[in-house]
Amino acid sequence: MSYRKAFIVSNALMLAAFVWAFAKDFNAEWRPYQKKYYQLAADALEKKGLKDEARRMRRSPVEIKQIIAGDLGRFDRCVTCHVGMDEYVNPTLKNDFAENPYKSHPKVDAALVKAHPFTKFGCTSCHSGQGLATSVDAAHGWVKHWEKPMLKGVHIQGSCVKCHGNFETLKGAEAAALGKKAFNRQGCQGCHMINGFGGTTSVPLDDIADKPFERIAGYNFKRVQIDGKELRDEHHDSHWNIQNWILGHLLNDPAEVTPNDPFAHLNAEPIPPSGMPDFRGEISRSEADAIVAYLSGMTKEEVVPYRYHVPAPPAREPRLSGTARGRYVFAKYGCQGCHGLDAKQGRRRFNAAGDGQKEYDDTLPEAEQFAQMNLGAEPTLPNLVGTYTHEELVKKIQNGVPAADAKKWSPKGPLPMVTMPSWKDKISKSELDDLAAWLLSIAKKDDSGF
Amino acid sequence: MPALDLETIKKEIIDSQLWRSVFRGGVWKDTPRDRAGHIIGNVWLHLHPVKVRPRALEWAYTWGMGGISFALYLLLTLTGVALMFYYRPTIGLAYRDIKDLEFAVTLGMFLRNAHRWAAQAMVVAVIAHMVRVFLTGAYKKPREFNWGIGVLLLTLTLFLSFTGYLLPWDQLAIWAVTVGTNMAGATPILGNEGPLGSLVGMRINNDVRFTLLGGTMVGENTLLRFYVMHCVAVPLVVGILLILHFWRIRKDSFSAAPYSAAEEKIDVWPHLVKREYIAAAGTVLFIMIWSILQNAPLEAIANPNVTTNPSKAPWYFVGLQELLVYFDPWIAGVAMPGLIIVGLIAIPYIDTNPKGVGYYAWKERPFANALFMLGIVMWFALIYIGYALRGPNYAWYWPWESWYLPKAAPPPTWSVFGPEGVGAYSMLIGIPLLGALSAAWMLLPKLIQRELDGRKAMGGFLAAVAALAVAGVALGRMGAAEGGFLLFFLGASFYFGFVLPQRHIRTLDWPRYLVTMVLVVSTMSVLLKMCARLAFNIKYVLTIPSINMNI
Repeated sequence: MSYRKAFIVSNALMLAAFVWAFAKDFNAEWRPYQKKYYQLAADALEKKGLKDEARRMRRSPVEIKQIIAGDLGRFDRCVTCHVGMDEYVNPTLKNDFAENPYKSHPKVDAALVKAHPFTKFGCTSCHSGQGLATSVDAAHGWVKHWEKPMLKGVHIQGSCVKCHGNFETLKGAEAAALGKKAFNRQGCQGCHMINGFGGTTSVPLDDIADKPFERIAGYNFKRVQIDGKELRDEHHDSHWNIQNWILGHLLNDPAEVTPNDPFAHLNAEPIPPSGMPDFRGEISRSEADAIVAYLSGMTKEEVVPYRYHVPAPPAREPRLSGTARGRYVFAKYGCQGCHGLDAKQGRRRFNAAGDGQKEYDDTLPEAEQFAQMNLGAEPTLPNLVGTYTHEELVKKIQNGVPAADAKKWSPKGPLPMVTMPSWKDKISKSELDDLAAWLLSIAKKDDSGF
Repeated sequence: MPALDLETIKKEIIDSQLWRSVFRGGVWKDTPRDRAGHIIGNVWLHLHPVKVRPRALEWAYTWGMGGISFALYLLLTLTGVALMFYYRPTIGLAYRDIKDLEFAVTLGMFLRNAHRWAAQAMVVAVIAHMVRVFLTGAYKKPREFNWGIGVLLLTLTLFLSFTGYLLPWDQLAIWAVTVGTNMAGATPILGNEGPLGSLVGMRINNDVRFTLLGGTMVGENTLLRFYVMHCVAVPLVVGILLILHFWRIRKDSFSAAPYSAAEEKIDVWPHLVKREYIAAAGTVLFIMIWSILQNAPLEAIANPNVTTNPSKAPWYFVGLQELLVYFDPWIAGVAMPGLIIVGLIAIPYIDTNPKGVGYYAWKERPFANALFMLGIVMWFALIYIGYALRGPNYAWYWPWESWYLPKAAPPPTWSVFGPEGVGAYSMLIGIPLLGALSAAWMLLPKLIQRELDGRKAMGGFLAAVAALAVAGVALGRMGAAEGGFLLFFLGASFYFGFVLPQRHIRTLDWPRYLVTMVLVVSTMSVLLKMCARLAFNIKYVLTIPSINMNI
């Protein structure tokens, strides 16, 4: 090719490339949605005989729209496609369209929506997602590196928890309230502290909604199953989110979600699987979702101005005394997280030596050894406390049990996790007395005559 | 009515006062005078000579890489200025502004992509330009100084790209820059973690890293510093050096290509200018299409509390990061790059071979070409390993292995002069022994007066190493892989570090010979240390804890 030809061709190609780039930019995903909305809205106006309004609607400029909710640090361009929710185009915020993104926001007359005007709260304050984005996947947060995608189903009630300290009595936040109830019923607070209340055995959950995926060891979402189905391999779609991570711990055996390295294949020392008990038999599917909803509101990253907060009513303790109060104290501090509901049956404690296990045998295959280690359990209190006096029991609870005292089933296996922490500074003396009294009252009586 | 005479109208326009005030020279008659006038009369073009030898224009000779580098520099200036209209360098706004560019600004994404990809392309183009100049011996007398300026321009290109890497303020940016700047903290004497640093009072909050970051970690000050360096300070310096670089090319008769008797110079307009235009247009087109098809990466917003795993430096520094596996930061991050820069600048002054100026000369410059290309291959091989083969925890992952597959922790390492080695006699034995070894290695090639038979020497050495490896495997002290490492690394070091210098540079005068051998032995010690680590898990061959210096 001669240089003259190359000159003409390269110039033409550069022009063509620029036109291509411009066309790609101009044909952004949001544009057809907005145009279609103006059409639909204009048609609807015409049907009502409002010709002028219809013409004006049809001529509306096609543009990126955004809600700036400065107080909450939100710059939400959602209304660029969801035009029906833009107060400037659709002042009544109502229309008859059934399909997204054209339909208007449901329940705009309900107190819930009325109390949260879009212009002040934006969209992502409640719904999450990527407000700055203007393409479908990116805006809903179904992309890699956007770790707070839109909340689905009841999980959105976590957003109520962010500001409403009183969410337990709040209309519309029933799931989050149920979630907190289930959370405390199962004794999660025994290990997971929330806002200063609870044990320190595992991670605090008061910022669990902000947990970066980088901190989820090995990104092992792949081991999470939701309703028996594995999450898709790719983590840049809507399935890899913190909600499914929490849900995965409630719908699966956490030891399978975080198996770690109990046989020291990859590390110098064995690392036990997750110490979290398997709650599958005790939590229903809807309760699991409710717990996720409750925990979705646990954020420290999203700073909400103080005047947006609604304080919680002062906590009220039930008026109880004696063993009844002891039973209440047991549940209040989450002892059932390890010792089972009403202290009936100790939960799993990996590689702890105890009843029902075979003799340790080095030659057993690993799977068999794993099953035996998995049979290790926390103490079933009624079998145990009978040998203690009241004072001894109180002391035991106050001081806890050092981790090194644990008896291993496999001497080569990991040290059993989840040891009894010291409750000295958490449970008051009078509570402790009642707790010990209750525990002694449920102790198994020795039938042997001694 | 007079006939409409286009020629007359054209002449009228060109001769009008308005036209002539803007464009000198009359109607274009394509005479030599016209073509010369085009170059001389134009401020932008007059850095060219009027005439140039045809040899200087061959694509196979120039690769067009110098021109392409400059075209990319101009493209980067253009797109960079456009981006500056939208970008604010504060940690509260920077990331959001990038999101705005992506989602709301007309052609914003295209602009950002073009800037990003042109920067990567410029790094490649500048390196390719250097390789070409080396291979054609175009750095030799009288162009030594301009080669040095070229090396500085290459360094500044990398630095420009590096400072720009931080500006999007995402996880990729902050951790890449953290990796890169942490090495500065290991600078000998000037860094708080470097050898001798603590002796002269370097702390984390007064050393060279602190100066670079404006703090003890990458933060608001760093962003502002990098922004100013990226947009103002470094481009200014690059501009000044570019003018010098071009001016020298022009003064040094434009091309090193040797004269031939029958050669007749040709006009720069149009012969050179059209080639430059096509090269630039092709480059711009390439960047445009790349920018349309592929978006620049943007990860989650920077979070100093959440370290990405793995954290990698920008790709052109990943080779140095890979060296961190084998060396302490002060060697991998400061001494090595420093030696590379100084060594490159020194090349024209130590390479006294008069042959091979202005043409490819594989046979006439075997030593220079082999060593230089070894350096280039090592640089890119290390980049490939660090970029493509390192996964979480910087463990080795083959391209077909999933990063979700956990890997065993690396085996424990030991040091020759550590508790697992021969004990703590590093000062007493280690320094004299290692010093004597390197001195012997440096002197021996020149002291052996007779030229060795390369094939025999290489065969004998490989046979000895193979025997050693076989013995080691037979005794159960190492596996086949270790034997392979031994054969490859020792063989390469012996060939490039001993056989080649012995055969080709032993006649050099002592000062030049010694400088060359220092560079050669340092390059080979990288290979040897890699071998020690890969095959035998040796962390240090010499430990001097009192001054924080471990090799």
